[in-house]
Amino acid sequence: MNRIYGLTLRGIDALPVEVEVCITGGLFSISIVGLADTAVKEARERVRIALGTLGIKLKGHIAVNLAPADLPKEGALLDLPIAVGIAREAGFIPKDVSGIFMGELALDGRLRKVKGGVPAAFLSREMGLPLFIPRGNTPEASMVQGVEVYSCSNIAELFSHLRGESRLKKLDFTLPKAKVVEVEPDFADIKGHVAAKRGMEIAAAGHHNLALIGAPGSGKTMLAKALRGILPPLSDEELIEVMRIRSARGVSIEVERTRPFRPVHHTASVVALCGGGTDLRPGEISLAHRGVLFLDEITEFRRDVLEALRQPLEDGCITVSRAAGSIVYPASVLLVTASNPCPCGYLGDSERNCTCSPGDIERYSRKLSGPILDRIDLKLQIPRLTPDELLELDGAAESSFEIRQRVIKARALQIERWGPFGVKCNAELRENMIKKHLGLSKNGRAFLKSLGTAFKLTGRGFSRVLKVARTIADLAGDKTVDEPHLAEALAYRGGFFFER
Amino acid sequence: MKDEELSILLALNALRQFNGHLISDLKCKSLSLSDLASSPSAIRELTRSEGVIQRWYEMLSKGWHFRELERCRAKGVEILVWGEEGYPSSLDRLPDPPLLLYWWGNSPKLGKAAVALVGTRRCSNYGGRVAFELAFKMAEEGFPIVSGGAYGIDERAHRGALEAGGVSLSVFGTGVDVCYPAKNETLFEGLKERGALISEYPLGTKGMPWNFPERNRIIVGLAEVVVVVEAPIKSGAMITGRIAMECGVELWAVPGRINEGVARGSNLLIFDGAYPLIDVDSFVHLMKGSPEGFLVKEQSEMSLAELNDGERRVYGLLREKGDRTVDNISLECKMTPAQVFTTLTKLESRGLVSATGPGRWGANAFMEGEKGVV
Repeated sequence: MNRIYGLTLRGIDALPVEVEVCITGGLFSISIVGLADTAVKEARERVRIALGTLGIKLKGHIAVNLAPADLPKEGALLDLPIAVGIAREAGFIPKDVSGIFMGELALDGRLRKVKGGVPAAFLSREMGLPLFIPRGNTPEASMVQGVEVYSCSNIAELFSHLRGESRLKKLDFTLPKAKVVEVEPDFADIKGHVAAKRGMEIAAAGHHNLALIGAPGSGKTMLAKALRGILPPLSDEELIEVMRIRSARGVSIEVERTRPFRPVHHTASVVALCGGGTDLRPGEISLAHRGVLFLDEITEFRRDVLEALRQPLEDGCITVSRAAGSIVYPASVLLVTASNPCPCGYLGDSERNCTCSPGDIERYSRKLSGPILDRIDLKLQIPRLTPDELLELDGAAESSFEIRQRVIKARALQIERWGPFGVKCNAELRENMIKKHLGLSKNGRAFLKSLGTAFKLTGRGFSRVLKVARTIADLAGDKTVDEPHLAEALAYRGGFFFER
Repeated sequence: MKDEELSILLALNALRQFNGHLISDLKCKSLSLSDLASSPSAIRELTRSEGVIQRWYEMLSKGWHFRELERCRAKGVEILVWGEEGYPSSLDRLPDPPLLLYWWGNSPKLGKAAVALVGTRRCSNYGGRVAFELAFKMAEEGFPIVSGGAYGIDERAHRGALEAGGVSLSVFGTGVDVCYPAKNETLFEGLKERGALISEYPLGTKGMPWNFPERNRIIVGLAEVVVVVEAPIKSGAMITGRIAMECGVELWAVPGRINEGVARGSNLLIFDGAYPLIDVDSFVHLMKGSPEGFLVKEQSEMSLAELNDGERRVYGLLREKGDRTVDNISLECKMTPAQVFTTLTKLESRGLVSATGPGRWGANAFMEGEKGVV
């Protein structure tokens, strides 16, 4: 039996919706049943007029059933399967037509782009049926391998294909070329800040979460924005993961290999950040999947919002559960936070005096050292440069491209080393792997022992230092983790503000 | 002294009307403490204020004074009474020495002359570092460090003394058992072990704004030398400085930048005749009573030999030119940022440098081999 399928989106998955049509005699009417939302119910007008443009006059009572009946269906993307179903039942296209259809109809018969191209392609592969999509969705759907996808710009084109009058061309599997858009600002444009740049290179190389601390105007936000320019480009697999989320959410889909960068304002709610709502949308943390999630002014965030980030930061995915059901979204991000050292921002500044009372600072730092800080490997302090210091700096700085090459190399080393353990980067190392396979030299061990006591490191502090030191060694191409690597890693533990 | 007498004294002290001279007054009026105990109305010989007298009756009728003594005994808080053994005689320089002191910690044998370090709670980095360093070096030479247990300069001074393994006394404006500010609780534990917590207020007294200026006189009274490390014009440390001047206690002040409000008061004290403390080592030298007197010597380059070339360059730069960012250091020492970070960590572990602000580093005056990681 040949069936016509549409689909509805649930999270980042597309679920099949079978379209059944029955035409009986009587006055003309179309009724649609099967838990359809308003957008679907309104499809009848669009379908009637769009079919009219082909000279198809519908007669009789037309009942359309969307199965399974208990699955809520939403969106205008069901226009096309309904139109195809009706046309088939009315005998305008052959009875043996089957496939998955998606698309919104315009009144003149054109097909409008809809969200969900990537999930639809996955569904089509799973079901082994051809997929018909609006032309606007071509780039997304062609990213999935092993699918029979046809794109058409209007319903006339589609029907002539289905009748066998003219053939649509099957889309080729095309992953976008390794196009990496250079992001603004480039590291070459950032004057000075060599210390911060070094820290960010390490963070990028080992996928370490990063905290930037500095006075207002010291350049924290600019640096954070530049970070994704030195991250390695998305791999094929990662690109599809990213596109799948974006496609399902319907955010602007520009297919590029540069990693996502999602800045979040501190007024954001838990739902905005983690996902939820009646339609179980993915949140910012999922949109930042495989990229950078940037929390500016992290101390201004509500406590419950920060608490909610804990679990996804640990697990790399987030479960959104509501009355409507629960969905697991991927949420593997590189977290970057920015904050002032104190409420007024000038604690320890070389020129301006801090106007905060000791109690204020105490409360503030307690907020800072909450649940998130434990998951941050590198804490970079950004000095506010005096005019003299700014002038002293000379121009030549490395470009993001040059730094990125080193990062890519270091990542390759990590994948080679940790591949057998199912881990991709140093930041994800587990305690037993740190103990056994880090490659800590004898000298290094003794050095760490002596400094650990001097700096009063905790257990967690030790493993953070070791992970970062491993990345530093990888950047240098060294096999063992040695004294200089450890000493440098210790400099990023943020002593001034966090271990007072 | 008998328990009964002691508890009567506690009650008299709690009235906050009398100072140490009460003891001699009593003698003049040929009243004894036991007289006061047996006939509470004898208080009328000492005060005419009806409010005070009423409080006195209330306390005695409820037996507050016995319970207060019991509480002290239970906690191990000693009570030092004016004119009795153990009471620091230096307090007699004050026009109004406290009638008694609650003393919680090591027994009150100060040994060497104590040095008071006081200053603002909102201190600059510079002030905090000087306080720490000064306390560290003085404590190392065996001088007890007296301060007020507040945030900022006080805290740094106490910590410096403890870090050096020395003795430090903290004079509270609250009862000795009231942890104020609460964050300094661990510091106070350390002080109890290696110094003492001192107050003239009954146990459990909350910190009232007027208590703190009043207790400042005790800080002066306990010390031979008072150093105002950093203070704005309007601050408790300035009151301490004035009291020191009035009582003829040697007063020093650490010069600060003249365009910063935080050091205006301490600079003003210098103008008014306090000694400017322009070099820590020389100050320590002078306090030890060495014959050369106050000498600003060249910094000795002792035992920096263990440092490697890069470490010496970075340390030298910070020593000479003050605080620097990592950028500056890498530029001026011709090192990569990675090398700078490595070097700074090694220097920090030796206590030679420390972070002074976001991304800024400065040299400590500590020499090789000393502890002192801040």
